Amino acid sequence: MAVRFRDRDAFEPCGGYKLLPLRFTALDADRYVVTNDVGEYALLDRASLHAFLRYRLDPRSETYRTLKARHFLYDDDNSAALDLLALKLRSRAEPISTWTGLHLFVVTLRCDLACRYCQVSRQNEDVGSHDMSPEHAERAVEMVFRSPNRHQKIEFQGGEPLLNFPRIVQIVERVEALNRREGRDIQFVIATNLSRLDDEVLAFCRQHHVHLSTSLDGPADLHDAQRPARRGSSHARTVEGIARAREALGHDRVSALMTTTPASLDRVDDIVDEYVRLGFASIFLRSLSPYGFAAKSLVRRYTSEDWLRFYRRGLDRVLHANAIGHPMREEYTAILLQKLLRPTGTGYVDLQSPAGIGIGALVFNYDGAVYASDEGRMLAEMGDETFRLGHLDQDDYEAMMTSPALLSALDESLAESAPMCADCAFLPYCGADPVFHRATQGDLVGHKAFSAFCAKQMGALRHVIDLFERDSDVRALMLGWG
Amino acid sequence: MADERSSDAVPIRWDDHAAHFELDADVYRLAAVQRTAYRLAARCTALVAAPSTSKIAVTLHLPRDGNDAARREVVDIFFRELLDQELREQVRAETAPVRALLLAVAFSRSGLKSPG
Repeated sequence: MAVRFRDRDAFEPCGGYKLLPLRFTALDADRYVVTNDVGEYALLDRASLHAFLRYRLDPRSETYRTLKARHFLYDDDNSAALDLLALKLRSRAEPISTWTGLHLFVVTLRCDLACRYCQVSRQNEDVGSHDMSPEHAERAVEMVFRSPNRHQKIEFQGGEPLLNFPRIVQIVERVEALNRREGRDIQFVIATNLSRLDDEVLAFCRQHHVHLSTSLDGPADLHDAQRPARRGSSHARTVEGIARAREALGHDRVSALMTTTPASLDRVDDIVDEYVRLGFASIFLRSLSPYGFAAKSLVRRYTSEDWLRFYRRGLDRVLHANAIGHPMREEYTAILLQKLLRPTGTGYVDLQSPAGIGIGALVFNYDGAVYASDEGRMLAEMGDETFRLGHLDQDDYEAMMTSPALLSALDESLAESAPMCADCAFLPYCGADPVFHRATQGDLVGHKAFSAFCAKQMGALRHVIDLFERDSDVRALMLGWG
Repeated sequence: MADERSSDAVPIRWDDHAAHFELDADVYRLAAVQRTAYRLAARCTALVAAPSTSKIAVTLHLPRDGNDAARREVVDIFFRELLDQELREQVRAETAPVRALLLAVAFSRSGLKSPG
């Protein structure tokens, strides 16, 4: 009888295999993470890693098939592997060319709170000289439309931006007028403490589809200690504002952010529970940035390891909330998962290489100065103008976007060529942060062996990968976040 | 290429919170030793020299505030990391042509080529 089918062994590769570009880093005492430039990863024990790199891997093994499927090796059997990998590489790099998609307008530096960790030097709420002028607002809006990005987020920052509400109205209406011919997808967000929320503001937000983002640091005692108001409880005012905004705009049009201070470190369960109590489906466990008042007072009072303990416990609490029926997502974990699981990663500007400064986000300060990032303008408030690209009165778009302040920072800080980063398996999920390293080490690249940014990123990624691989229930939940 | 080995396989001379040893340049590349020294900069200060084409001399200056066991642990970590770095050098060298080819193919239709 004629043989119609050949045995499976006939299709096994027989000519050996070749390595594809890869990086590896220890995940823990027993396992290594192996990654490539398209963001695929695999976990191997040390013996398997060595066998793989020394061409001793059994082609019939599960490990071999996994490494082949994820583009860590190729053999005679998959000659199209390089073309496929090149296609994935092009997809992964494609977002770089979309250019700036986040424009921040600091419409005033005035604020009615006196937060202990404020990252910009606040000014008295009555001082008008710290407001953005109508002329600067007009020029900044024109600059937004110079970016080729079809998706734009325009965020109003402060101080407390609602203290200069007329400027917000001017900017939103002008953007909408220009967008009638541009037809872009534009989202507006006001980052506000909600203290100045009134019917006029809510009606405007409803009419123009403006989102509100507020700060909520946890239960009342913690929130009020960290964000003291001159009169009464800022927590009570925030909670009342959230309820009012939800009623007027819809539940999902109001989000909240928290900031971790030394006082938060032992309170993460309370913080997560407060978000659950108030009906939020999302929480972002954010560490303090080394800028503004935080740099002077708080940031040195906890280490990366302190924050990682806080983060790991907080993530456990969020997973517990999901397990007992309250769907909730931890945003920092979600960003890391998107970088791990999506072919194109994520647009989160703090974790990009090239860095997200300028080409991811641009900041128009109240005084007409333009900065490459929000952290860059915070650094400027401390006297370091490294990330100042120019001024709306004197410089045009071309001059700012090709200024040495931007180009040299992008070039020098590229993670792919930074010592330690270039070899690190977590590189595809991480980014350059020249502003952080300038602030903490006086250098755009920074020595990563001493970098709190590096320690935080690696610690969090190790934890997320471990959880994702170890627990099938967590994995199923996290697939939804990614 | 480097074999699996620990600090036990390399004679180490201890001298006032410093560890001195020589590595075989046929086993470890200078770049791997330098990258290891850089990565462990928070734990020790390394001086690297190449007194001959076949030897790489390393001195690790270790923290004065720890005990002998802690200092020996740093040296063990150095050797473990050195092996990883040597493997990375091997991967980098062996995949260099593929890396260049991939980038060329990936961006061949992106319009980012210089017109010249």
